[in-house]
Amino acid sequence: MSVRPRVARFGVALALAGIVLLAGIFIPGFMSRANLTTILLHVSINGILALGAIFVIITAGIDLSVGSLVGLAGVLAAATLTGGDVLRLVGPGGAAVLAVVVGIATGGVVGLLNGGVVARLGVAPFIVTLATMTAARGAARLVTGGVPIGFPDPGDPLYGRKVAALDALHALGGGRIPVPGLPTGFPVPALVMLLLIAVGGFVLTRTRFGRHVYAVGGNEEASRLSGVAVGRIKLSVYGISGACAGLAAVLLVGQLRSGGPDAGMLYELNAIAAAVIGGTSLFGGIGTAWGALTGALLIGVLNNGLDLLGVQAFWQEIAKGVIILLAVLFDVGMKRADARRMRESGLRGGS
Amino acid sequence: MTLAAQRGGPLLALSAVTKRFPGVLALDAVDFEALPGRVHALVGENGAGKSTLLRIVAGAEQPDGGTIAFAGAPVSFSAPRDALRAGITVIYQELSLVPQLGADANIFLGMEPAWHGLLDRRVTTARAADALRRLGADFDPTTPARDLSVAEQQLVELARALARDARLIALDEPTAALSQLETERLFSQVRRLCERGIAVIFVSHRLDEVRRLADEITVLRDGRRVFTGGASTVDDAGLIRHMVGRDVEYARVPPTARPASEPLLELRGLGRRGAFEEVSFTLRRGEILGLAGLVGAGRTEVARCIAGADRFDRGEMTLAGTRYRPASPREAIARGVVYLPEDRKTQGLVLGLKVRENVTLAALARFSPRGIVRRHAEREAAARQVAAVELRPPDTERPAGTLSGGNQQKLVLAKWLLAEAAVLLFDEPTRGVDVATKVELHRIIRSLADAGRAVLVISSELPEILALADRIVVMREGRVAGELAAGTATAERVLALALPASHAA
Repeated sequence: MSVRPRVARFGVALALAGIVLLAGIFIPGFMSRANLTTILLHVSINGILALGAIFVIITAGIDLSVGSLVGLAGVLAAATLTGGDVLRLVGPGGAAVLAVVVGIATGGVVGLLNGGVVARLGVAPFIVTLATMTAARGAARLVTGGVPIGFPDPGDPLYGRKVAALDALHALGGGRIPVPGLPTGFPVPALVMLLLIAVGGFVLTRTRFGRHVYAVGGNEEASRLSGVAVGRIKLSVYGISGACAGLAAVLLVGQLRSGGPDAGMLYELNAIAAAVIGGTSLFGGIGTAWGALTGALLIGVLNNGLDLLGVQAFWQEIAKGVIILLAVLFDVGMKRADARRMRESGLRGGS
Repeated sequence: MTLAAQRGGPLLALSAVTKRFPGVLALDAVDFEALPGRVHALVGENGAGKSTLLRIVAGAEQPDGGTIAFAGAPVSFSAPRDALRAGITVIYQELSLVPQLGADANIFLGMEPAWHGLLDRRVTTARAADALRRLGADFDPTTPARDLSVAEQQLVELARALARDARLIALDEPTAALSQLETERLFSQVRRLCERGIAVIFVSHRLDEVRRLADEITVLRDGRRVFTGGASTVDDAGLIRHMVGRDVEYARVPPTARPASEPLLELRGLGRRGAFEEVSFTLRRGEILGLAGLVGAGRTEVARCIAGADRFDRGEMTLAGTRYRPASPREAIARGVVYLPEDRKTQGLVLGLKVRENVTLAALARFSPRGIVRRHAEREAAARQVAAVELRPPDTERPAGTLSGGNQQKLVLAKWLLAEAAVLLFDEPTRGVDVATKVELHRIIRSLADAGRAVLVISSELPEILALADRIVVMREGRVAGELAAGTATAERVLALALPASHAA
């Protein structure tokens, strides 16, 4: 939007390019098409959640509920997919379609509830979504009795249809699109994520709604006095974040052929991390869809590279922590530079 | 100087103190003295420089020129802590107590009696009770500050000053929120402080109170000291004359068209609890109505209600003959009523957005059929508006936050010109803006009225109101104190209506 995010954006992109380059030189197999494709696949869930997160964070909000929503939407989607009545009524293909709808709708509706409480009752987003995070996780466990919903018993009278339904959804969550020159094909979730990032970027930069998202986060009172429907904008961004969680849940169920109540644990923090690394300011008003993608990719490349090097998972977590800290320090540094610039341009007034 | 000689020298002496802010000379070579055991009052209009002077005395601002001597020795305070340590306490109108803490804890905040880091609450409470008793207070010293009345909170502040062994206490508008009885009590407490040899600086708008309490009075105007003398040597009229006598005069911008005879906006008995009551006036197309009054008289609150930013709970408004009761700025804007807030940075602009994005924020729907922003049309419209208000630099793609104050105000104006409002409410449109830009803004505001819009201007600067307004409504303490026509209004008459009557008159 302004000068600052542009610097931030290129800063992260440069960091990403640098890491990719180093990994390519020093880690055998990193630059193979198959490995790069794998990275994209692993990043896709977090990329989608990060996209939802930036909408919320740009309005100076936060959504902690997405991880639990991935769990809740996932088990509801899985229950729909393997439900006897559903399968008898619409068949395996229809059940897969219905599962997608149920998953996204679950996330979207709970997201709108978050947004409603934040916008209408003025409760701090951190608290609202913390409550939802706890409640949604509980609901997911309640629905399933704590056990994943997925692959049927061989003795199940609907065994064939259930497997067919799981396979149908797997085409979405685990499918590959044949691409010439890419023996493994291109993973469908990665394609979904890239499309979504493109759409999200368009919405943020080219639509009235997107402009209002930035305006509300940049200065809520000025926006309100300018006639921006602040409440509606806030409601919408939490809806978007929830719907993204729902979609991620569906992809995950498809990929794993099962919906577990504990799926998505801590995903909200990964999404926020990607957003922050990608230059989104937690103070609001600043962030891009492209940044969300770059942030998610940076985490993904780092994990993958350290994996290939045989570095312990524990060390990977420490590395990720350091990266997040660096990104935030960068944000703070930019903010200070901004303040200095504004001071120098003589904005202080009054006697 | 003669007084100083008699008493063995002033405790605090400012000489030729100057303070500049970008675009404003807040204090221009001001001399000021405070003597032990005496009350020196500081009066002047809003923006005359009283607050700046207090902040310099408190160490919260550093002067750009001149010298300060305290107890005979030159000092330079780089932070409020330095001034506190020297024995200077400034009690601001916005009291600075921690609401959840008890009076005793507040009194000793920052210098808690403690034993190796462990608080000694018994000593704290006992010493606080003692300090409060000396001031004639009779409430429990452990009462949380938020449960105390304003007058009691002031006592806590005074007790805090005593506990710090303050030698100079400055009070900024201490009686503004007090009843008559409380004011009398405060005065007797101030006199008690004087008996102990403490020097008192007293800032107030209530002129007869000032004359009753003070020994000396200094009048500031536009950052300059225009009068210092014994309180008994002047009357209210004389003080007002000193306060308004002007160096700056703006050329009146006359209207080219006659205003409509029918009112466009009409307020009847409008009230908002705690802010204003019984406010009635009309606003016509083609005219500029000035809303004058002191800071806190309720002018901004009235404008915010008209703009839908706040609700009113009494009375009614009509707009173009039909009932008008906006529930949000959105509704007001839809009816053609817009508010240009006083504080551009927190309410007028989104500083992180570009100039272009700010210009079109209130009219974006016109450039985004089906929700997608037409970038070409948006850019053109922004460029047109930026040219119309002569924004400098005329760059639509730079962040709004990098513009100077005057240009930020022009940007706010550009935004609302684009929104094509019928009623424009300007709140202090030229505050903190240099004189050249002020004149430009005046011209633009007049051209809006000439184009048939109804304009309301709130300004604390009398010359500005006199130069701009066709009619002037003066507010005092939440009520309309009177209305003056452009021909008959003078700075003295406006100020006489605006100044509050004393409680104890």
